Amino acid sequence: MIVNITEMYILLNYLIAIIVSITVALTLKLPLLPEEPRRFSWTTSALFPTPIITIGLLAIIYSINFFWICDGTVLAIIIAILSGLSVKYLFDYIFPKPNIGESNE
Amino acid sequence: MNEIVGVIIASIISWINFVVIDTYFGLPEAPGVKGAEIVGYSIKKRGGDLSGGFFQGNILCSPDASAGTLIASMGVMLLGFQGGLIATLIVYIGNRLCADPGYAGTTGALSATIIVTLGSYIGLTPLMFVAGMVIAITTIQGLDHSSSSKLLGSIAKRLNRKTKLK
Repeated sequence: MIVNITEMYILLNYLIAIIVSITVALTLKLPLLPEEPRRFSWTTSALFPTPIITIGLLAIIYSINFFWICDGTVLAIIIAILSGLSVKYLFDYIFPKPNIGESNE
Repeated sequence: MNEIVGVIIASIISWINFVVIDTYFGLPEAPGVKGAEIVGYSIKKRGGDLSGGFFQGNILCSPDASAGTLIASMGVMLLGFQGGLIATLIVYIGNRLCADPGYAGTTGALSATIIVTLGSYIGLTPLMFVAGMVIAITTIQGLDHSSSSKLLGSIAKRLNRKTKLK
């Protein structure tokens, strides 16, 4: 379905997607922030990388002009829920942590 | 805006964007992988600064804010604001494949997406940012490693990110 949707709606959908993905991640008991020292932490958390994956996937779908029903809002919520679930259950399988002995020796 | 002036302004903005973000996220503090360590000590041996050397090694070995800025500019050029968001996801995947947690790369790509999108309202096109970023990265990696590493080292010192390694 190709629909002309204003930029305002698209930005609003991204905002909804970010909020929903963080909420789903927190519900699945992911921490809000990685542990200290944060900039070297490998922990997946609700604020990083869940919203990054959500908005990236949503941008791919929106950029092919697929918005589905409710001007793309339903799609944003579905992608946000799927991203939260995948960060919790699939992430370490797709992107395993590197062996510290190998990477930092 | 005149193209030459635009590219110069874009390269200055890109330079500040990626150097500040990369330094803040600790690139000069420690080498993320073996390759970055080798680059850092090699630059130190040639009269450079070790912190700056680690910075250069790290941006060479994984897509940090430098690559984030460049890829996000390309994304915005091709697909607008949403292209920048896709670029952020691509940079994040690239980071994880390069044994990097990905904070610097994704933050750099996101900030570049916002900067390039806002820049287009004042006449700075995404194409200028692509050219500007290539110039910015050349000043760090392509001219003189020892002097650029000293500059990066002094910025790291100011931001309290100097390496403790010898």
